[in-house]
Amino acid sequence: MFFLVLAVLALPAAGGRALKVNGSSTVTPVVADAADLLQQTAGLEIVVDPAGGSSGGISALGDGRVDMAMSSRPLEPGDHSKFPSTDFRPVTIGYDAVAMVVSRDVWQGGVHALSRQQVRDIYEGRIKRWSAVGGPDRRIVFFDKEPGRGTWAMFAKWAYGDTQKAPLVSFPKVGSNQETRTKVASTPGAMSQLSASWTDGETIFALGIRRPDASVVYPTREEIAAGHYPIRRPLLVITDGPATGAAKTLLDLLLSERGQALVEKHGYLPLEKPAATEAH
Amino acid sequence: MIPARPARRSLTRWFCLAVSGLTALAFAGMVALFAFESLPVWRHAGFEYLRGHQWFFRAQRFGALPMVYGTLAVSALALLLAAPVGLGSAVFVAEILPARLRLPAKTAIELLAGIPSVVYGLLGVLLLRGWMLRVLAPFEPLSGDTLATGGVLLAVMILPTVVTLGDDALRGVARSQRQAARALGLTRAETIVRVSLPQALPGLVAALLLALGRALGETIAVFLVIGRQDNQWPEHLLSPASLAAAGQTLTTKLGGSETHIAYGDPLHWAAMVALALVLAILVASVTLAGTWLGRPRLAGAASANLPSPAGGDPGDPHA
Repeated sequence: MFFLVLAVLALPAAGGRALKVNGSSTVTPVVADAADLLQQTAGLEIVVDPAGGSSGGISALGDGRVDMAMSSRPLEPGDHSKFPSTDFRPVTIGYDAVAMVVSRDVWQGGVHALSRQQVRDIYEGRIKRWSAVGGPDRRIVFFDKEPGRGTWAMFAKWAYGDTQKAPLVSFPKVGSNQETRTKVASTPGAMSQLSASWTDGETIFALGIRRPDASVVYPTREEIAAGHYPIRRPLLVITDGPATGAAKTLLDLLLSERGQALVEKHGYLPLEKPAATEAH
Repeated sequence: MIPARPARRSLTRWFCLAVSGLTALAFAGMVALFAFESLPVWRHAGFEYLRGHQWFFRAQRFGALPMVYGTLAVSALALLLAAPVGLGSAVFVAEILPARLRLPAKTAIELLAGIPSVVYGLLGVLLLRGWMLRVLAPFEPLSGDTLATGGVLLAVMILPTVVTLGDDALRGVARSQRQAARALGLTRAETIVRVSLPQALPGLVAALLLALGRALGETIAVFLVIGRQDNQWPEHLLSPASLAAAGQTLTTKLGGSETHIAYGDPLHWAAMVALALVLAILVASVTLAGTWLGRPRLAGAASANLPSPAGGDPGDPHA
């Protein structure tokens, strides 16, 4: 019965023989652009979908429902144990940072950076007002990134060392980067975790991280590239076994100069260029 | 199973029987599958699953009550808002509007039902969230993502269902009844209140219940404006303050990323499937009740179910 339903659902999709890519909404814009390019130049049909976030994409790949996963967090032991028969082959296509982001009123109210301890205090509900961290006298409206999102995993790893050690808390949740941006920008006193490239410095601002020595590091391109900003992450595309066919074409494009330009275009850091190209 | 009456064994009959049997089988199969797949969580948590207030999947704690509450609160609010407006429009369309305007009006209202729910959701994000944040200001909501926002959005979404089914119920009242009432000297308003509404009552209640069924199952529009906050168990059920907080419904939980994480973990997956089971049973019972009340019946049978309007009302013209 169940398989019958699945088979019926799969029929229309299988008809087009499209390459299906699913996962991180952070990686999506780059892959979607590359897919458009391949559709125009090579007539390849590629469907890019950010529905389930990084974990959703990895699950879908492990389950054989898609041809390629996008992830904004590294693979975890749990992924391998859930899908033991899948030969996950991650390829890094660029880098990104996760920022603590706030709405305009908070930024203009004077909050420009938080220490790791302050972020933990907010996340665990010990700090409830912005005035406690030098901001306006307003309640902190924390939008927590959904579990299963790469951004949340990177945040938890940075704040608590391991996603499993993150405290059991319940906040209003946000899913894709676009939703985070919309909700934080339109809610006074809002804070969330978001890919640094998705902040604009007008309606939504990336906070700096105050280090133990009281110096502050912001998630700028330079600081991320230099490895100073603590929450840096690889952007991955993952295939089951070595990429072949259309997936290989897409992967090659993403790693080419043209693909790397797309990575930069969306505000992420491209792969480090070989020293030879740096020379000129 | 199939009655052996050769005379009526037409092709149409067989075909209809097969198709409706298939539909019934699909639902039974679905419920059976949900029940089977959710077995691990019933073994793990037992009735605590339905009574528990806490859902932390990383700690393997699964309590679904806050989501059942969220679903019921949002749907109840939607029905509360949609019922007066929807039934009022139904009366207007069925009883007052001239016949040549009735069809265009009804078509326009039914068009509203054809708008995809994700569009309602985006409108909710664009227009409703900010507005609700201001309207609910006395209750100090943290953001515009609240149970109340979901309820208001759902009210708009189920309005066409209420209007169009309510209109059908009112049109089902025999014209001769109205004419008799007018001939006895009742005004149009009296005819509506004393004759049409009581006669159509079962159909009107059915319209509300079917709309409620839609509200219970709606996912994506609510998903975008409710905040999706777990473990929201209010101090006072259905108090305005608790509706001005973010929450989670059965559908928004199932529509979220947790379903993807749960996949591959038998216990967590079972907990998610059990939510679907609870939801399916909830929607099915409401829809069944609505269909049962709204079933076509003889005029005599319908009036037998009426609450007597004569009971001690001094202004009753029938008295």
